[in-house]
Amino acid sequence: MKTELTISTGAIDEAALAKCREMGKGMGAVICFSGVVREIEGDAPITAIDYEAHEQMARHQFALIFDAVEKSWPVESVRLVHRLGVVPVNEPSLWVEVTAPHRAEAFDACQFVIDEMKQKVPIWKKPIPA
Amino acid sequence: MKFWSYFRDHTGCAETALELAKGTTLGETHAAVLDEFPKLAGSKNSTLKAVGLEYEDDDFVLSDGDEVSFFPPVQGG
Repeated sequence: MKTELTISTGAIDEAALAKCREMGKGMGAVICFSGVVREIEGDAPITAIDYEAHEQMARHQFALIFDAVEKSWPVESVRLVHRLGVVPVNEPSLWVEVTAPHRAEAFDACQFVIDEMKQKVPIWKKPIPA
Repeated sequence: MKFWSYFRDHTGCAETALELAKGTTLGETHAAVLDEFPKLAGSKNSTLKAVGLEYEDDDFVLSDGDEVSFFPPVQGG
């Protein structure tokens, strides 16, 4: 399984990411998920979220998650981008792409990656009030 | 010993060093940290603990030079 992980303060360019997608001819499903900063955090309006990571551990934990995906589904590739630093409202902080032969495994694997990330990957957010 | 996210605000530092007896466990180390930084006590039960890059249980025995991280529940995405 091919994996690509980017943890960066740069803005996530979804169009550019889609453009450089590589898929084998046996692949019939691509799932792309974007997690976008909402204007409300809890009950309070915000302008942005400031993301922080224990980056070395985050990379390791993502690698463990990708290993688990490979063992569980016939997925061809997982690409994941997580932005750090200040991410304004309406901009993506997370982008995940899974390619697989069929939609069921692509959806399941994508959901798994995000669920596991929210349990294990040491990234934290600090909302910036409006 | 490293502190992440708002734990850093509670301790007033990003990292510190502790002299521990041989055979000290991660749980005992956590207790020592809570003694030194009482503001972390409110988060005692939700604290996540890692040694190096791996999560470990309270009965994990630390070795000389281990880097221990304490942090609140993660919030990626």
